[in-house]
Amino acid sequence: MIAAEDGPEAVAERQAQLLRGCLDMCLLALLAEEPAHGYELVRRLDTAGFGTVSYGTVYPLITRLHRLGLVANALQPSPSGPPRKIHRLTESGHERLRAWSEQWAQFAGVVNATLAARPSNPGGDHEHVDVAR
Amino acid sequence: MSTSTSLVDDLLATADREWRALGVQRDDRAALAADLRADLEAAAGDGLDPAQLLGASPREFALRVAEEAGVGRTPPRYGQVLGVATVGALLALVVGFLGVIGLHQILVAAFDLPPGLRVPVWLAAGVFYGGVAAVAVTGAVLAVRFGLRDAPRIRHTAARMALLLPPAVAASIAAAVALGWSFDFPLTPLIMGAEAAIVLGGFLAATTLARRWSIRTAI
Repeated sequence: MIAAEDGPEAVAERQAQLLRGCLDMCLLALLAEEPAHGYELVRRLDTAGFGTVSYGTVYPLITRLHRLGLVANALQPSPSGPPRKIHRLTESGHERLRAWSEQWAQFAGVVNATLAARPSNPGGDHEHVDVAR
Repeated sequence: MSTSTSLVDDLLATADREWRALGVQRDDRAALAADLRADLEAAAGDGLDPAQLLGASPREFALRVAEEAGVGRTPPRYGQVLGVATVGALLALVVGFLGVIGLHQILVAAFDLPPGLRVPVWLAAGVFYGGVAAVAVTGAVLAVRFGLRDAPRIRHTAARMALLLPPAVAASIAAAVALGWSFDFPLTPLIMGAEAAIVLGGFLAATTLARRWSIRTAI
């Protein structure tokens, strides 16, 4: 049971769960760095170390960010034809990214502090003594 | 490039079918398609396979895009609305016919018309066709309103039907009468079938328009 949970599928599932809560923020951060197409963001996520995040996950999220007014279309000159549409961060997008980043830093701090407080060898440095009286 | 363009076209057609099925408005569908096209064409231009990007199920992808875009999803359910409206109209006609038969017998037993009374043909025809139309329209509107009460925007649709059906059915009956009159009202199956088809066509067209009207004003 424990071995199955430690397998690559379980690791990937855990990674997906962790990513679910912060992918929109990471997309904003990547777009703040430089405007891009949807598929380019997939590449950048991979390069950043998130592993392969599918286009089918990224593109609908970009659509949501558009709806929220955090991302807008921009035109990028193309050497092989008419200018191409890419996604860029709006002013609200920058503001939201700042707010989310602060919130994330605070949250991550709490998580890290919690993990750091955990004893490395559970039970080894505590002696449970039952006091009779 | 032309192959990739046609591939993008195919993928967008699949997505559009899904968005249609979801009841996404035409303008929203066009906007979603334009953005997706830009992205997929750029990907294809950089040597990527657009079909691979969308994954194994372009329909599921389209569904997720529509959900995240927050576009209106009022399913039109035209077939259901037309079916229920037609059944409602036919049931109302049967009930109305039985009611008229009963009423006729009561009236004949209760009253004697003066021997010299002559009712003009146009008045009799107007009352007859008007009565039939009114009963059919009432049956259709009530059937849609209550038979499909769980369908989105159905009250609005029923209200629009009440508005559109009377003139549409009146115009259809007038057209059917004109057709019969032009052939001297023959009782042949062809002409009678054509007259019935005209009235039914007007009824269905007005019902479709009513539903479309209420769906389009949903957002």
